[in-house]
Amino acid sequence: MKEFARRMISIDRRIIFLLIALATLLPLLHPFGLPIKVSPEVRGVFDHIEGLPKGSVFFLSLDFDPSSKPELEPQAIALLRHAFRKDLRVIGMTHWLTGTALADSIFVSVAKEMGKEPGKDYVFLGWSPGTGSLVIAMGQDLYKAFPTDYAKSATLGMPVLQGVRNLRDVNYLVSLAAGNPGIEMWYVFGKDKYRFEMGGGSTGVMAPGLYPFLRSGQINGLIGGLQGAAEYETLIGVMGKAVAGMDAQSADHFVIISLVLLCNVFYFVLRGEKGRPANA
Amino acid sequence: MTFLRRQLPLAITLIMGVTFALQYYIPHPISEDAITHLSKWMQIISGFALVLGLASLFQVHATKIRRKVPGWGYSVILYLAMLVTVLVGLFWSKGQTRVDGLQTGFGWIYDYTMVPLQATMFSILAFFIASAAYRAFRARSREAALLLAAAIVVMMGRVPLGQFLLPWTWDITQWLLNVVNSAARRAILIGVSMGAVALSVKIILGYERSYLGGGKDQ
Repeated sequence: MKEFARRMISIDRRIIFLLIALATLLPLLHPFGLPIKVSPEVRGVFDHIEGLPKGSVFFLSLDFDPSSKPELEPQAIALLRHAFRKDLRVIGMTHWLTGTALADSIFVSVAKEMGKEPGKDYVFLGWSPGTGSLVIAMGQDLYKAFPTDYAKSATLGMPVLQGVRNLRDVNYLVSLAAGNPGIEMWYVFGKDKYRFEMGGGSTGVMAPGLYPFLRSGQINGLIGGLQGAAEYETLIGVMGKAVAGMDAQSADHFVIISLVLLCNVFYFVLRGEKGRPANA
Repeated sequence: MTFLRRQLPLAITLIMGVTFALQYYIPHPISEDAITHLSKWMQIISGFALVLGLASLFQVHATKIRRKVPGWGYSVILYLAMLVTVLVGLFWSKGQTRVDGLQTGFGWIYDYTMVPLQATMFSILAFFIASAAYRAFRARSREAALLLAAAIVVMMGRVPLGQFLLPWTWDITQWLLNVVNSAARRAILIGVSMGAVALSVKIILGYERSYLGGGKDQ
Protein backbone atom coordinates (compact mmCIF):
# COMPACT_ATOMS: atom_id res chain seq x y z
CA MET A 1 0.00 0.00 0.00
CA LYS A 2 2.81 2.40 0.97
CA GLU A 3 4.66 1.67 -2.26
CA PHE A 4 1.50 2.37 -4.27
CA ALA A 5 0.90 5.61 -2.31
CA ARG A 6 4.51 6.67 -2.89
CA ARG A 7 4.17 6.11 -6.63
CA MET A 8 0.81 7.88 -6.79
CA ILE A 9 1.95 10.93 -4.87
CA SER A 10 4.73 11.57 -7.36
CA ILE A 11 2.59 10.77 -10.39
CA ASP A 12 3.66 12.25 -13.74
CA ARG A 13 1.89 15.59 -14.08
CA ARG A 14 1.08 14.81 -17.72
CA ILE A 15 -1.45 12.26 -16.44
CA ILE A 16 -3.16 15.06 -14.47
CA PHE A 17 -3.08 17.25 -17.60
CA LEU A 18 -4.70 14.43 -19.58
CA LEU A 19 -7.47 13.99 -16.96
CA ILE A 20 -8.21 17.73 -17.03
CA ALA A 21 -8.25 17.73 -20.84
CA LEU A 22 -10.71 14.82 -20.90
CA ALA A 23 -12.88 16.41 -18.20
CA THR A 24 -13.06 19.56 -20.31
CA LEU A 25 -13.55 17.98 -23.72
CA LEU A 26 -16.00 15.17 -23.05
CA PRO A 27 -18.79 17.32 -21.49
CA LEU A 28 -18.39 19.81 -24.33
CA LEU A 29 -18.92 16.99 -26.86
CA HIS A 30 -21.65 15.26 -24.83
CA PRO A 31 -23.29 17.83 -22.51
CA PHE A 32 -25.30 16.46 -19.60
CA GLY A 33 -27.25 19.70 -19.14
CA LEU A 34 -27.73 19.98 -15.39
CA PRO A 35 -30.05 22.77 -14.19
CA ILE A 36 -28.43 26.11 -13.26
CA LYS A 37 -29.36 27.58 -9.89
CA VAL A 38 -29.60 31.39 -9.82
CA SER A 39 -27.91 33.26 -6.97
CA PRO A 40 -29.27 36.48 -5.41
CA GLU A 41 -26.09 38.29 -6.54
CA VAL A 42 -26.79 37.67 -10.24
CA ARG A 43 -30.51 38.25 -9.80
CA GLY A 44 -29.65 41.72 -8.39
CA VAL A 45 -28.23 42.83 -11.78
CA PHE A 46 -31.01 41.13 -13.75
CA ASP A 47 -33.81 42.64 -11.65
CA HIS A 48 -32.40 46.13 -11.92
CA ILE A 49 -32.16 45.98 -15.72
CA GLU A 50 -35.61 44.35 -15.89
CA GLY A 51 -37.03 47.26 -13.90
CA LEU A 52 -35.59 49.99 -16.16
CA PRO A 53 -38.14 51.67 -18.43
CA LYS A 54 -37.70 51.64 -22.23
CA GLY A 55 -35.14 54.22 -23.42
CA SER A 56 -33.18 54.27 -20.14
CA VAL A 57 -29.43 54.71 -20.42
CA PHE A 58 -27.45 51.54 -19.71
CA PHE A 59 -23.67 51.86 -19.59
CA LEU A 60 -21.61 48.70 -20.11
CA SER A 61 -17.88 48.91 -19.46
CA LEU A 62 -16.05 45.86 -20.80
CA ASP A 63 -12.90 46.08 -18.70
CA PHE A 64 -11.11 42.94 -19.83
CA ASP A 65 -8.88 41.63 -22.58
CA PRO A 66 -8.82 38.36 -24.56
CA SER A 67 -7.24 36.38 -21.69
CA SER A 68 -10.55 36.61 -19.78
CA LYS A 69 -12.73 36.17 -22.86
CA PRO A 70 -14.08 32.69 -21.94
CA GLU A 71 -15.57 33.98 -18.67
CA LEU A 72 -16.48 37.58 -19.42
CA GLU A 73 -17.62 37.47 -23.05
CA PRO A 74 -20.69 35.29 -22.19
CA GLN A 75 -21.55 37.79 -19.42
CA ALA A 76 -21.30 40.71 -21.86
CA ILE A 77 -23.39 38.92 -24.50
CA ALA A 78 -26.12 38.00 -21.99
CA LEU A 79 -26.27 41.56 -20.59
CA LEU A 80 -26.41 43.11 -24.06
CA ARG A 81 -29.15 40.71 -25.18
CA HIS A 82 -31.16 41.65 -22.10
CA ALA A 83 -30.59 45.40 -22.55
CA PHE A 84 -31.43 45.36 -26.26
CA ARG A 85 -34.52 43.24 -25.61
CA LYS A 86 -35.66 45.88 -23.09
CA ASP A 87 -35.01 48.63 -25.70
CA LEU A 88 -32.51 50.38 -23.47
CA ARG A 89 -30.05 52.87 -24.93
CA VAL A 90 -26.65 51.25 -24.51
CA ILE A 91 -23.31 53.04 -24.14
CA GLY A 92 -20.21 50.87 -24.19
CA MET A 93 -16.53 51.39 -23.57
CA THR A 94 -13.43 49.68 -22.21
CA HIS A 95 -10.60 50.72 -19.90
CA TRP A 96 -8.39 47.93 -21.25
CA LEU A 97 -6.56 48.96 -24.42
CA THR A 98 -5.86 45.37 -25.49
CA GLY A 99 -9.55 44.51 -25.14
CA THR A 100 -10.90 47.29 -27.37
CA ALA A 101 -11.36 45.31 -30.58
CA LEU A 102 -12.81 42.37 -28.65
CA ALA A 103 -15.33 44.64 -26.92
CA ASP A 104 -16.25 46.21 -30.26
CA SER A 105 -16.83 42.82 -31.87
CA ILE A 106 -19.10 41.78 -28.97
CA PHE A 107 -21.19 44.94 -29.40
CA VAL A 108 -21.35 44.60 -33.19
CA SER A 109 -22.32 40.91 -33.17
CA VAL A 110 -25.04 41.16 -30.47
CA ALA A 111 -26.47 44.36 -31.99
CA LYS A 112 -26.65 42.67 -35.40
CA GLU A 113 -28.38 39.64 -33.88
CA MET A 114 -30.92 41.88 -32.09
CA GLY A 115 -31.45 44.22 -35.06
CA LYS A 116 -29.96 47.29 -33.34
CA GLU A 117 -28.18 50.15 -35.12
CA PRO A 118 -25.00 51.95 -34.04
CA GLY A 119 -25.54 55.58 -33.15
CA LYS A 120 -29.29 55.08 -32.82
CA ASP A 121 -29.66 52.21 -30.35
CA TYR A 122 -26.13 51.90 -29.02
CA VAL A 123 -22.70 53.49 -29.15
CA PHE A 124 -19.33 51.92 -28.47
CA LEU A 125 -16.94 54.65 -27.35
CA GLY A 126 -13.79 52.53 -27.43
CA TRP A 127 -10.75 53.19 -25.24
CA SER A 128 -9.10 56.36 -24.01
CA PRO A 129 -6.19 56.75 -21.56
CA GLY A 130 -6.62 57.88 -17.99
CA THR A 131 -8.71 55.19 -16.19
CA GLY A 132 -9.77 57.11 -13.04
CA SER A 133 -9.26 60.53 -14.57
CA LEU A 134 -11.15 59.39 -17.66
CA VAL A 135 -14.12 58.46 -15.46
CA ILE A 136 -13.95 61.92 -13.85
CA ALA A 137 -13.78 63.49 -17.33
CA MET A 138 -16.86 61.50 -18.40
CA GLY A 139 -18.59 62.49 -15.19
CA GLN A 140 -18.00 66.14 -16.02
CA ASP A 141 -18.65 66.05 -19.78
CA LEU A 142 -19.00 62.87 -21.83
CA TYR A 143 -18.42 64.67 -25.14
CA LYS A 144 -15.12 66.19 -24.04
CA ALA A 145 -13.91 62.80 -22.84
CA PHE A 146 -15.06 61.06 -26.03
CA PRO A 147 -15.56 63.53 -28.91
CA THR A 148 -15.86 60.53 -31.28
CA ASP A 149 -16.82 56.89 -30.83
CA TYR A 150 -14.71 53.85 -31.78
CA ALA A 151 -15.83 54.13 -35.44
CA LYS A 152 -14.73 57.83 -35.46
CA SER A 153 -18.32 59.18 -35.64
CA ALA A 154 -18.94 62.38 -33.67
CA THR A 155 -20.70 61.59 -30.39
CA LEU A 156 -22.36 65.01 -30.09
CA GLY A 157 -25.80 64.82 -31.66
CA MET A 158 -26.00 61.01 -31.74
CA PRO A 159 -29.66 59.94 -31.24
CA VAL A 160 -28.62 57.30 -28.68
CA LEU A 161 -26.98 60.00 -26.51
CA GLN A 162 -29.92 62.41 -26.60
CA GLY A 163 -30.30 64.01 -23.17
CA VAL A 164 -27.03 62.49 -21.93
CA ARG A 165 -24.46 65.10 -20.88
CA ASN A 166 -22.36 63.14 -18.41
CA LEU A 167 -22.37 60.11 -16.11
CA ARG A 168 -25.09 61.66 -13.93
CA ASP A 169 -27.52 60.88 -16.79
CA VAL A 170 -26.71 57.17 -16.76
CA ASN A 171 -29.46 55.02 -15.22
CA TYR A 172 -27.40 51.91 -14.65
CA LEU A 173 -23.75 51.01 -15.14
CA VAL A 174 -22.21 47.56 -15.17
CA SER A 175 -18.47 47.01 -15.28
CA LEU A 176 -17.34 43.54 -16.38
CA ALA A 177 -13.84 43.44 -15.03
CA ALA A 178 -10.85 41.11 -15.12
CA GLY A 179 -8.84 43.25 -12.70
CA ASN A 180 -7.92 46.87 -12.23
CA PRO A 181 -9.13 49.21 -13.75
CA GLY A 182 -12.55 47.75 -13.18
CA ILE A 183 -15.37 47.68 -10.66
CA GLU A 184 -13.52 49.32 -7.73
CA MET A 185 -12.23 52.11 -9.94
CA TRP A 186 -15.71 52.75 -11.37
CA TYR A 187 -17.09 52.94 -7.85
CA VAL A 188 -14.38 55.21 -6.39
CA PHE A 189 -14.18 57.72 -9.26
CA GLY A 190 -17.64 57.31 -10.77
CA LYS A 191 -20.56 56.15 -8.68
CA ASP A 192 -19.47 57.82 -5.47
CA LYS A 193 -19.38 61.29 -7.09
CA TYR A 194 -21.84 61.08 -10.00
CA ARG A 195 -24.52 59.04 -8.22
CA PHE A 196 -25.57 56.40 -10.72
CA GLU A 197 -26.64 52.87 -9.77
CA MET A 198 -24.02 50.25 -10.42
CA GLY A 199 -23.59 46.49 -10.78
CA GLY A 200 -20.58 44.36 -11.56
CA GLY A 201 -19.33 41.25 -13.26
CA SER A 202 -15.96 39.65 -12.84
CA THR A 203 -13.85 36.57 -13.40
CA GLY A 204 -14.48 33.72 -10.96
CA VAL A 205 -11.16 34.26 -9.19
CA MET A 206 -11.92 37.96 -8.55
CA ALA A 207 -15.50 37.57 -7.41
CA PRO A 208 -14.92 36.73 -3.70
CA GLY A 209 -12.90 39.96 -3.33
CA LEU A 210 -15.89 42.01 -4.49
CA TYR A 211 -18.38 40.67 -1.94
CA PRO A 212 -17.73 43.49 0.58
CA PHE A 213 -18.87 46.02 -2.09
CA LEU A 214 -21.96 43.91 -2.68
CA ARG A 215 -22.87 43.56 0.98
CA SER A 216 -22.42 47.30 1.62
CA GLY A 217 -24.67 48.17 -1.34
CA GLN A 218 -21.89 49.88 -3.28
CA ILE A 219 -22.81 47.56 -6.13
CA ASN A 220 -26.30 46.08 -6.32
CA GLY A 221 -25.40 42.81 -8.02
CA LEU A 222 -22.45 40.69 -9.02
CA ILE A 223 -22.03 38.23 -11.88
CA GLY A 224 -19.14 35.97 -10.93
CA GLY A 225 -17.26 33.95 -13.54
CA LEU A 226 -18.71 31.46 -16.00
CA GLN A 227 -21.22 30.28 -13.37
CA GLY A 228 -22.56 33.86 -13.06
CA ALA A 229 -22.82 34.14 -16.85
CA ALA A 230 -24.69 30.82 -16.99
CA GLU A 231 -27.10 32.08 -14.30
CA TYR A 232 -27.73 35.25 -16.34
CA GLU A 233 -28.31 33.21 -19.50
CA THR A 234 -30.83 31.12 -17.54
CA LEU A 235 -32.60 34.28 -16.33
CA ILE A 236 -32.97 35.77 -19.83
CA GLY A 237 -33.91 32.35 -21.24
CA VAL A 238 -31.25 32.35 -23.96
CA MET A 239 -28.72 29.60 -23.38
CA GLY A 240 -25.28 30.39 -24.75
CA LYS A 241 -21.61 29.57 -24.26
CA ALA A 242 -21.77 29.86 -20.46
CA VAL A 243 -24.45 27.22 -19.91
CA ALA A 244 -22.63 24.96 -22.40
CA GLY A 245 -19.35 25.51 -20.56
CA MET A 246 -20.72 24.80 -17.09
CA ASP A 247 -20.78 21.03 -17.71
CA ALA A 248 -17.06 21.13 -18.50
CA GLN A 249 -16.42 23.31 -15.44
CA SER A 250 -18.43 20.91 -13.28
CA ALA A 251 -16.37 17.96 -14.50
CA ASP A 252 -13.09 19.86 -14.00
CA HIS A 253 -14.03 20.77 -10.42
CA PHE A 254 -14.97 17.16 -9.79
CA VAL A 255 -11.63 15.87 -11.13
CA ILE A 256 -9.61 18.42 -9.12
CA ILE A 257 -11.52 17.61 -5.90
CA SER A 258 -11.02 13.87 -6.47
CA LEU A 259 -7.28 14.40 -7.10
CA VAL A 260 -6.88 16.55 -3.97
CA LEU A 261 -8.74 14.00 -1.82
CA LEU A 262 -6.71 11.11 -3.26
CA CYS A 263 -3.48 12.97 -2.69
CA ASN A 264 -4.45 13.58 0.94
CA VAL A 265 -5.23 9.87 1.42
CA PHE A 266 -1.74 8.99 0.10
CA TYR A 267 -0.23 11.74 2.25
CA PHE A 268 -1.79 10.22 5.39
CA VAL A 269 -0.67 6.73 4.39
CA LEU A 270 2.93 7.99 4.08
CA ARG A 271 2.82 10.39 7.06
CA GLY A 272 5.69 9.97 9.46
CA GLU A 273 7.64 7.88 7.01
CA LYS A 274 11.25 8.95 6.46
CA GLY A 275 12.86 9.25 3.05
CA ARG A 276 9.73 10.19 1.14
CA PRO A 277 10.20 11.58 -2.39
CA ALA A 278 11.37 15.20 -2.34
CA ASN A 279 8.29 16.46 -4.16
CA ALA A 280 5.87 14.47 -2.02
CA MET B 1 18.74 72.73 -9.95
CA THR B 2 17.68 71.75 -6.44
CA PHE B 3 14.66 74.03 -6.81
CA LEU B 4 13.55 72.33 -10.04
CA ARG B 5 14.28 68.80 -8.84
CA ARG B 6 13.04 69.08 -5.29
CA GLN B 7 11.19 72.18 -4.11
CA LEU B 8 9.06 72.76 -7.23
CA PRO B 9 7.64 69.17 -7.42
CA LEU B 10 6.99 69.23 -3.68
CA ALA B 11 5.16 72.58 -3.97
CA ILE B 12 3.09 71.34 -6.95
CA THR B 13 2.20 68.15 -5.04
CA LEU B 14 1.15 70.11 -1.93
CA ILE B 15 -0.96 72.69 -3.82
CA MET B 16 -2.62 70.18 -6.18
CA GLY B 17 -3.16 67.60 -3.43
CA VAL B 18 -4.86 70.03 -1.04
CA THR B 19 -6.81 71.83 -3.79
CA PHE B 20 -8.30 68.70 -5.34
CA ALA B 21 -8.99 67.02 -2.04
CA LEU B 22 -11.07 70.09 -1.12
CA GLN B 23 -12.57 70.31 -4.62
CA TYR B 24 -14.53 67.11 -3.97
CA TYR B 25 -16.56 68.93 -1.31
CA ILE B 26 -17.16 72.18 -3.26
CA PRO B 27 -19.83 71.76 -5.94
CA HIS B 28 -19.33 75.32 -7.33
CA PRO B 29 -19.14 75.82 -11.16
CA ILE B 30 -15.55 77.14 -10.88
CA SER B 31 -14.55 74.08 -8.88
CA GLU B 32 -16.33 71.80 -11.40
CA ASP B 33 -14.56 73.56 -14.29
CA ALA B 34 -11.23 73.04 -12.58
CA ILE B 35 -11.76 69.29 -12.19
CA THR B 36 -12.95 69.06 -15.84
CA HIS B 37 -9.71 70.68 -17.05
CA LEU B 38 -7.56 68.68 -14.66
CA SER B 39 -9.08 65.38 -15.73
CA LYS B 40 -8.18 66.27 -19.33
CA TRP B 41 -4.57 67.00 -18.27
CA MET B 42 -4.40 63.68 -16.44
CA GLN B 43 -5.68 61.87 -19.56
CA ILE B 44 -2.95 63.51 -21.64
CA ILE B 45 -0.29 62.60 -19.05
CA SER B 46 -1.58 59.00 -19.07
CA GLY B 47 -1.14 58.98 -22.87
CA PHE B 48 2.49 60.00 -22.42
CA ALA B 49 2.93 57.23 -19.83
CA LEU B 50 1.92 54.76 -22.54
CA VAL B 51 4.58 56.17 -24.88
CA LEU B 52 7.15 55.96 -22.07
CA GLY B 53 6.18 52.33 -21.41
CA LEU B 54 6.61 51.50 -25.09
CA ALA B 55 9.98 53.25 -25.23
CA SER B 56 11.12 51.38 -22.12
CA LEU B 57 10.02 48.04 -23.64
CA PHE B 58 12.02 48.79 -26.79
CA GLN B 59 15.07 49.75 -24.73
CA VAL B 60 14.97 46.62 -22.54
CA HIS B 61 14.69 44.29 -25.53
CA ALA B 62 17.28 46.21 -27.57
CA THR B 63 19.76 45.65 -24.73
CA LYS B 64 18.89 41.93 -24.64
CA ILE B 65 19.51 41.62 -28.40
CA ARG B 66 22.74 43.66 -28.28
CA ARG B 67 24.16 41.56 -25.44
CA LYS B 68 22.76 38.32 -26.88
CA VAL B 69 21.48 37.22 -23.47
CA PRO B 70 19.79 33.76 -23.32
CA GLY B 71 16.41 33.96 -25.08
CA TRP B 72 17.35 37.06 -27.11
CA GLY B 73 15.57 35.53 -30.09
CA TYR B 74 12.22 36.19 -28.37
CA SER B 75 13.14 39.87 -28.21
CA VAL B 76 13.69 39.86 -31.99
CA ILE B 77 10.24 38.26 -32.41
CA LEU B 78 8.75 40.97 -30.17
CA TYR B 79 10.38 43.67 -32.32
CA LEU B 80 9.15 42.08 -35.55
CA ALA B 81 5.62 41.52 -34.21
CA MET B 82 5.41 45.08 -32.97
CA LEU B 83 6.76 46.49 -36.23
CA VAL B 84 4.38 44.45 -38.40
CA THR B 85 1.39 45.36 -36.20
CA VAL B 86 2.24 49.07 -36.23
CA LEU B 87 2.86 49.14 -39.99
CA VAL B 88 -0.32 47.22 -40.82
CA GLY B 89 -2.31 49.29 -38.32
CA LEU B 90 -1.07 52.67 -39.49
CA PHE B 91 -0.74 52.25 -43.24
CA TRP B 92 -3.25 49.57 -44.27
CA SER B 93 -5.99 49.83 -41.66
CA LYS B 94 -6.26 53.53 -40.71
CA GLY B 95 -5.69 52.46 -37.10
CA GLN B 96 -9.00 50.61 -37.02
CA THR B 97 -9.95 46.96 -36.67
CA ARG B 98 -13.11 47.36 -38.73
CA VAL B 99 -13.99 49.78 -41.55
CA ASP B 100 -17.57 49.85 -42.88
CA GLY B 101 -18.30 46.57 -41.12
CA LEU B 102 -15.35 44.82 -42.79
CA GLN B 103 -12.35 43.51 -40.88
CA THR B 104 -9.07 45.29 -41.61
CA GLY B 105 -5.57 43.76 -41.59
CA PHE B 106 -5.07 45.17 -38.11
CA GLY B 107 -8.32 43.52 -37.00
CA TRP B 108 -7.18 40.24 -38.54
CA ILE B 109 -3.89 40.36 -36.58
CA TYR B 110 -5.86 41.07 -33.40
CA ASP B 111 -8.49 38.36 -33.93
CA TYR B 112 -6.16 35.62 -35.11
CA THR B 113 -3.01 36.20 -33.06
CA MET B 114 -3.68 38.37 -30.00
CA VAL B 115 -7.00 36.75 -29.00
CA PRO B 116 -5.94 33.06 -29.32
CA LEU B 117 -2.48 33.70 -27.80
CA GLN B 118 -3.88 35.43 -24.71
CA ALA B 119 -6.72 32.91 -24.37
CA THR B 120 -4.21 30.03 -24.60
CA MET B 121 -1.93 31.55 -21.96
CA PHE B 122 -4.84 31.86 -19.56
CA SER B 123 -6.45 28.50 -20.31
CA ILE B 124 -3.28 26.47 -19.63
CA LEU B 125 -3.53 27.75 -16.06
CA ALA B 126 -6.29 25.18 -15.48
CA PHE B 127 -3.79 22.37 -16.09
CA PHE B 128 -1.10 23.84 -13.85
CA ILE B 129 -3.59 24.67 -11.08
CA ALA B 130 -4.85 21.06 -11.10
CA SER B 131 -1.29 19.72 -10.94
CA ALA B 132 -0.28 22.19 -8.20
CA ALA B 133 -3.43 21.44 -6.18
CA TYR B 134 -2.68 17.69 -6.34
CA ARG B 135 0.86 18.18 -5.02
CA ALA B 136 0.43 21.06 -2.58
CA PHE B 137 -3.12 21.10 -1.19
CA ARG B 138 -2.62 18.87 1.86
CA ALA B 139 -4.15 18.81 5.31
CA ARG B 140 -0.78 19.24 7.10
CA SER B 141 -2.34 21.19 10.00
CA ARG B 142 -5.76 22.00 11.44
CA GLU B 143 -5.81 25.35 9.59
CA ALA B 144 -4.84 23.68 6.31
CA ALA B 145 -7.56 21.05 6.82
CA LEU B 146 -10.14 23.78 7.40
CA LEU B 147 -9.03 25.59 4.25
CA LEU B 148 -9.16 22.33 2.32
CA ALA B 149 -12.70 21.56 3.52
CA ALA B 150 -13.90 25.10 2.70
CA ALA B 151 -12.32 24.92 -0.77
CA ILE B 152 -13.98 21.59 -1.55
CA VAL B 153 -17.40 22.82 -0.40
CA VAL B 154 -17.10 26.05 -2.45
CA MET B 155 -15.86 24.18 -5.52
CA MET B 156 -18.85 21.83 -5.28
CA GLY B 157 -21.35 24.58 -4.45
CA ARG B 158 -20.31 26.77 -7.40
CA VAL B 159 -21.01 24.23 -10.16
CA PRO B 160 -24.24 22.47 -11.23
CA LEU B 161 -22.79 18.98 -10.72
CA GLY B 162 -21.89 19.78 -7.11
CA GLN B 163 -25.29 21.37 -6.51
CA PHE B 164 -26.94 18.26 -7.95
CA LEU B 165 -24.89 15.69 -6.00
CA LEU B 166 -24.67 17.61 -2.71
CA PRO B 167 -27.42 20.28 -2.66
CA TRP B 168 -26.39 21.55 0.79
CA THR B 169 -23.04 22.81 -0.59
CA TRP B 170 -24.94 25.65 -2.32
CA ASP B 171 -26.18 27.15 0.96
CA ILE B 172 -22.87 26.72 2.73
CA THR B 173 -21.03 28.28 -0.24
CA GLN B 174 -23.36 31.30 -0.17
CA TRP B 175 -22.79 31.66 3.58
CA LEU B 176 -19.00 31.32 3.24
CA LEU B 177 -18.87 33.93 0.47
CA ASN B 178 -21.30 36.40 2.00
CA VAL B 179 -20.30 36.20 5.65
CA VAL B 180 -16.86 34.70 6.29
CA ASN B 181 -15.19 35.84 3.04
CA SER B 182 -16.84 39.31 3.14
CA ALA B 183 -15.74 39.92 6.72
CA ALA B 184 -12.12 38.97 6.01
CA ARG B 185 -12.01 40.93 2.75
CA ARG B 186 -13.60 43.96 4.40
CA ALA B 187 -10.94 43.97 7.10
CA ILE B 188 -8.20 43.79 4.45
CA LEU B 189 -9.87 46.57 2.41
CA ILE B 190 -10.18 48.87 5.42
CA GLY B 191 -6.53 48.27 6.32
CA VAL B 192 -5.35 48.88 2.74
CA SER B 193 -7.53 52.01 2.42
CA MET B 194 -6.25 53.49 5.68
CA GLY B 195 -2.70 52.79 4.51
CA ALA B 196 -3.44 54.51 1.18
CA VAL B 197 -4.87 57.58 2.98
CA ALA B 198 -1.84 57.75 5.28
CA LEU B 199 0.55 57.43 2.33
CA SER B 200 -1.35 60.10 0.37
CA VAL B 201 -1.14 62.54 3.32
CA LYS B 202 2.60 61.82 3.65
CA ILE B 203 3.12 62.48 -0.09
CA ILE B 204 1.04 65.69 -0.05
CA LEU B 205 2.87 67.03 3.00
CA GLY B 206 6.26 66.08 1.56
CA TYR B 207 7.25 63.43 4.12
CA GLU B 208 7.28 60.67 1.49
CA ARG B 209 9.59 61.70 -1.36
CA SER B 210 10.56 58.46 -3.08
CA TYR B 211 8.43 59.45 -6.11
CA LEU B 212 10.93 62.24 -6.81
CA GLY B 213 13.51 59.63 -7.80
CA GLY B 214 16.83 58.64 -6.29
CA GLY B 215 19.01 61.60 -7.34
CA LYS B 216 21.78 62.83 -5.10
CA ASP B 217 19.69 65.90 -4.22
CA GLN B 218 16.95 63.80 -2.56
